[in-house]
Amino acid sequence: MNKITVGVLALQGGFHEHLNTLAKLKVADSSAAYVTIVPQAVKTPEDLSLCDALIIPGGESTTIALLARLSGLLELLKEYEKPIWGTCAGAILLSRQVVGTKKGGQEVLAKMDVKVGRNGWGSQVESFEADLTVKGMKDESRPFKGVFIRAPVILSLLPTTPGQPPVEIVARLPDEITPSHESAPFSAVDALGICVPSTPGYLPTPPNEREVSAQPEDLRHLVALRQGNHLLTTFHPELTRDDRFHELFVREFVLPSLPEAKE
Amino acid sequence: MASTNDGASPALGATLTASNDSNAPGSTTPSRSTQNKEGVSSAVGTFGVKSGLAQMLKSGVIMDVINAEQARIAEEAGACAVMALERVPADIRAQGGVARMSDPKMIKEIVDAVTIPVMAKVRIGHFVEAQILQAIGIDYIDESEVLTPADEAHHIMKHNFRVPFVCGATSLGEALRRISEGAAMIRTKGEAGTGNIVEAVRHARAVNTEIKRISNMSEEELYAYAKEIQAPFHLLKETARLKRLPVVSFAAGGIATPADAALMMQLGCDGVFVGSGIFHSGDPARRARAIVQAVTHYQNPKILAEVSEDLGDAMVGLTINDDIKGGRLAKRGW
Repeated sequence: MNKITVGVLALQGGFHEHLNTLAKLKVADSSAAYVTIVPQAVKTPEDLSLCDALIIPGGESTTIALLARLSGLLELLKEYEKPIWGTCAGAILLSRQVVGTKKGGQEVLAKMDVKVGRNGWGSQVESFEADLTVKGMKDESRPFKGVFIRAPVILSLLPTTPGQPPVEIVARLPDEITPSHESAPFSAVDALGICVPSTPGYLPTPPNEREVSAQPEDLRHLVALRQGNHLLTTFHPELTRDDRFHELFVREFVLPSLPEAKE
Repeated sequence: MASTNDGASPALGATLTASNDSNAPGSTTPSRSTQNKEGVSSAVGTFGVKSGLAQMLKSGVIMDVINAEQARIAEEAGACAVMALERVPADIRAQGGVARMSDPKMIKEIVDAVTIPVMAKVRIGHFVEAQILQAIGIDYIDESEVLTPADEAHHIMKHNFRVPFVCGATSLGEALRRISEGAAMIRTKGEAGTGNIVEAVRHARAVNTEIKRISNMSEEELYAYAKEIQAPFHLLKETARLKRLPVVSFAAGGIATPADAALMMQLGCDGVFVGSGIFHSGDPARRARAIVQAVTHYQNPKILAEVSEDLGDAMVGLTINDDIKGGRLAKRGW
């Protein structure tokens, strides 16, 4: 497993940024040997068949879903069992339920048991950058800059689909940062929920679990979630020069999913 | 624009954000940032989020629409954003008169009708129209030569706004002057409302040629060239290093067919604006979808052939010469 191919869905949006980051990325496997990462732009079913994992980039989720259907990729993606990471629009596509869709609804891949709201912070003038702490990330004490652009918000965690692992929290926003502008379409009430217990090691603040589940928290603070080999981030790690989120995806999601690793 | 669609460099903010001059006319609330006691910081309206939205529009089609119904057709056809305006350029050209910012009520109806980003145009230099559009929460502003210019010497100081701007450019110097004023996205200034691609091709080629020239220049030569094309030296140097414009760059003006869109993509543009070309054609929904597919699969002639079939009538084009009705719009802007 010294060579892996990581695909980036290249239909619309910021896919060059992901491909550029992957091309420069260095990841060491469990034996501390560097893995060769081959970035692959995915526009057709043939492109997808080359990949060991897929990143769905930011862009417009309505456009990406339409182009995926027209390119014969949508059904393949619904059945895809390899690791997928969705950023922003990609996170919307990974979610089972979406609020604030275009009229008549929109197609999603429904890979993760979460409900998201599109454009949860309002219009572009509310887009922002914020420092995040991400558990499990290399050099964890150094904050990771989250770039949130017309970002979706997590509204609730849905009952776990039978046979699927629970949803885990990978990163959350500091409490101080809350959608406040009048154009934010979802209020805190829409997003009050009880956090599912998370796997230790992934919770940003190792809390007293009972306390957390007793206190409903504003789920809009959850900005990166994992369920099995699916990862969603409501922000754009590909818009920074920091490649630690890509490293995390390859190390924690892609490498363990390879056939050799499972033996 | 360069020979590859390599994507603008990440983390542009450091290089491109000029200092905010809050005493300048037209200054509104620039980016705000907060830092709490634990050192957690956040900021809105940074150059990073302004250029970041443009990066998310890449490989997409931005369509001119004049009402909510057209906006819905555009969204269903896969537009990555819509441009709300009262008259498409072909009609502005035909009807004449002063063309201004659209009625905010009409823009808000379009914002309410769709989930994709909504852009709107302001006149060159008309910073109050821009303040109004920012106040109603528009996602992107086009400081556009298609409208009648409000100022014959100055463009809007775009760093002073939280809303991002796109501006037209016919050459590298013009593009870098606009970026220096705060534009987070650049487009060609093809002759709007003509259905004739020749000017957009000229601008894209001109910028590509200049970028090829500067990428081999020494620093002294770059200083001399910056003076010659009236561009800020630091932006010229960054462009030479990246071998492309340092912000996202779209094609605009005269795109009427899927082949036109793919041509501009192969010339190195990151995406396309389509103005009159869609809703002045025989079958707007079908043509819009075909242009969306052409932008994604611009390097695949087989798919381009499939999507170009049976689209009905394209808009009637105009030959571009100095007698053209409505004049040559690309000459507006300084």
